[in-house]
Amino acid sequence: MNDLGAQAVQAIDHGHAVVRATGIRKAFGGVEVLHGVDLDLRPGEVHALVGENGAGKSTIINMLGGRLHPDEGRIEIDGAPVEFRNPLAARRAGISIIAQELEVVPTLTIVENAFLGAEPTRHGLIRWGDARRRVEAVLSELGVHADPDQVVGSMSVADQQLVEIAKAVLGEFRVLVMDEPTSALNLADTARLFKIVRRLRADGVAILYVSHRLWEVFDLADRVTVLRDGSRIMTAEIGQTDVGAVIRAMLGTRSSLIAEGGKPRHAARVARGGLPALELEGVQSGELLQDISLHVHPGEVIGLAGVIGSGRTELAEAIYGLRPIERGTVRLNGVAVALRDPKEASRRGVFLLPEDRKLEGIFGHLDVRENVILNYDPNSEDLQKGQAAATMPRARSPRRRLGGLAPIPLKAERRAFGAMRTALGIRCSGPEARITALSGGNQQKALFARAALSGPSVLFLSEPTRGVDVGAKEEIYSAIDNFAARGIAIVVSSSELGELFRLATTIYVLRGGRIVAQIAADAASEEDVLKLMAG
Amino acid sequence: MKKPGLVGRILAADSAASMLALIAVFVIFSSVNGRFLTGLNIHGIIVSAAISAITGLGMTLIIAMRALDLSVGSIMGFSAIIAAELLAFGWPLWLVIVAGMLVGCGLGLVNGLLIVLLRLPSFIATLATLSMILGGQLLITQGETVPIHNAVFGSLAIGTIGGYLPLAAIIAALIFAVVWVVFHRTPFGRHVAAIGGDVRAAIGAGINVNRVTLGAFTLVGLLAALSGMMVAAELQNADSTIGAGAELTAIAVVVVGGTSLAGGRGNLFGTVCAAVLLASIKAGLNVANVSSLYEDLVFGGILIVALMVDGLRRGNRRRGMLVV
Repeated sequence: MNDLGAQAVQAIDHGHAVVRATGIRKAFGGVEVLHGVDLDLRPGEVHALVGENGAGKSTIINMLGGRLHPDEGRIEIDGAPVEFRNPLAARRAGISIIAQELEVVPTLTIVENAFLGAEPTRHGLIRWGDARRRVEAVLSELGVHADPDQVVGSMSVADQQLVEIAKAVLGEFRVLVMDEPTSALNLADTARLFKIVRRLRADGVAILYVSHRLWEVFDLADRVTVLRDGSRIMTAEIGQTDVGAVIRAMLGTRSSLIAEGGKPRHAARVARGGLPALELEGVQSGELLQDISLHVHPGEVIGLAGVIGSGRTELAEAIYGLRPIERGTVRLNGVAVALRDPKEASRRGVFLLPEDRKLEGIFGHLDVRENVILNYDPNSEDLQKGQAAATMPRARSPRRRLGGLAPIPLKAERRAFGAMRTALGIRCSGPEARITALSGGNQQKALFARAALSGPSVLFLSEPTRGVDVGAKEEIYSAIDNFAARGIAIVVSSSELGELFRLATTIYVLRGGRIVAQIAADAASEEDVLKLMAG
Repeated sequence: MKKPGLVGRILAADSAASMLALIAVFVIFSSVNGRFLTGLNIHGIIVSAAISAITGLGMTLIIAMRALDLSVGSIMGFSAIIAAELLAFGWPLWLVIVAGMLVGCGLGLVNGLLIVLLRLPSFIATLATLSMILGGQLLITQGETVPIHNAVFGSLAIGTIGGYLPLAAIIAALIFAVVWVVFHRTPFGRHVAAIGGDVRAAIGAGINVNRVTLGAFTLVGLLAALSGMMVAAELQNADSTIGAGAELTAIAVVVVGGTSLAGGRGNLFGTVCAAVLLASIKAGLNVANVSSLYEDLVFGGILIVALMVDGLRRGNRRRGMLVV
């Protein structure tokens, strides 16, 4: 163990702890993401772990769950050092992780899921009667009334989560790690979950509660640990701190940096008059999104802030036609439209750069040029000037008329790719380089180029710099500025507040599927926005 | 939530479609032609249904695990040929049957190992072994037919108890009971369903996916071998035509029986119903003097309808509805 780690050991509270992690370091691909973090969990406490995205919360959780191994430092259980080789080892040591992405088998019943991997048997046969009785007992203890033979896939997310909790209780776990457990829950389900968490705490379970929502933390937790950029900034009894102190610990000095003149250069750009390129009025979609109203003019950049589960992702999907809009109006350049599917949306010049590049954006088996010119239609070049005819469905070009079978003129394609490569500074060994060989930043630029070539009038960017290194970030920011300068209306949805302040003139804050504030970026601080996000 | 009544529950059951179709087929064929309901014809239906049900029950587990085994037909043929050759060598009958089933287990295990060790998709791995096993059959038989002169072996398929109850039906019923218990009452069976339902969650629950995969493919190999030997018993000889195309029949009876290709659950009773249904249609077409050349066309059509129904149900499940 190195010096820093050794000091940290002395710094921690020596009260009785079930789990104690000390001096945990972890690097991915040469970049250290945890710099000697300490964390201890006592029986019968709810310990909140907070921090911005990328602070290192998930890395810590994955180590407790046996999915990752620390490069340095150690994890002790009841004072004895342990090394989890796999998730099963962590479970055997009494640690249960309830991940944000639930791990239940949708086709199996409650009782089958609750005992999966640990079925009670006699002579090799499962004793279902016994299993059912035990599940029923635990469920009623948790205050849930459900038929143990119900198929889990037919239950709400909140109830599926309770199945996981029941599983943890049945396995007599002493440590329960809950990662953003309320991100998909409504208020009533959240209240029920809190009751259950408190009951488990009273039974002596140590609970690590990871959340973005500070009001939850102050409502539920006994202690709070703040991580920032891979370091533990503070651990405090909840009674001896307050929301302001926690927020300052989460943000560090960055909030003041913004205020001190790191003001983005586009701040001088004034949104143009006239009709908004995109306008939502009272939009409701699904159970989450309620009464969403916003507008963005050609050449304007607006920002969407909100924690995970606030509805940012869903809003992007609704605008792009991936989710039905049940109520409200969407207008493009003042004309009401119904964007029923992505095809319709892109035909009207609305494009989405998805949150998850690997999953939804890039085609890994194609090369860079093929990825960039995917939607390119040389015959619609006249429509690429930006604000043109967003409300008019595009005329069908010869290529489209042939059902996409007409050959793309190679020359036009090369020219278009070359122009984009220079304009955005895409660094690759050549047009034929595999897109997967590019860095995250350059992949993102390639997706930008694809969107630009399809002649957008509204561009919706979800987490545009996720997984992108610092240098490439600035290049992406200036690419966004350039798009805006060409008259494209841009919506940036991001969990990085600094990014929103850098890019946007107006920031809309979402919480629980509603817009709770619309603020001018130069009149607010990150701390203000964070408070609004946390509620 | 209101519990549906008896009729509603029957209609909503996964096997409802194949049961209703079965009744319809019997009504139609017996009204069209009096010969459909004769003893000999019914006996033929039962034997043929029993044979496809046994492989189909194994395939149900494979599909519940969200995998496919395309080699079952070739395993049927291979085991049948091995059994015929061993009988010709003069091995005792019980030993021949055990050996034939062990051959099936071995081939199934090879399938499993290819999938687990080489991380091949199951349908690719079993497509490759299908071809290799067929090649092995031709090498052993040199393309000839191996005759079987053993009346007791023959009764495996065509024998009856008391002149009415076909032995094949009893074998199939026993296999159904065993596979049902394995699938629903043992951890192994539930792990098969869990892997098919959500492999990530299965791993998270500490399930050894590799071991379960090996077990399931070994089991289906064993059942295919048994089916293959029953075909040889019925024909009183064995050659490489045994089991040709049987993988499609096996998949068809599973899907028509209401097991979704999406995995995660399996309907063993539906598989048996569908096996009887397909055998009845085949016999019915035969009795109605429809050329057997049309059989494959009809079966393909049934498979398309079953897949469409499966697709519709899956689509609606996703939206939280249950559609009959």
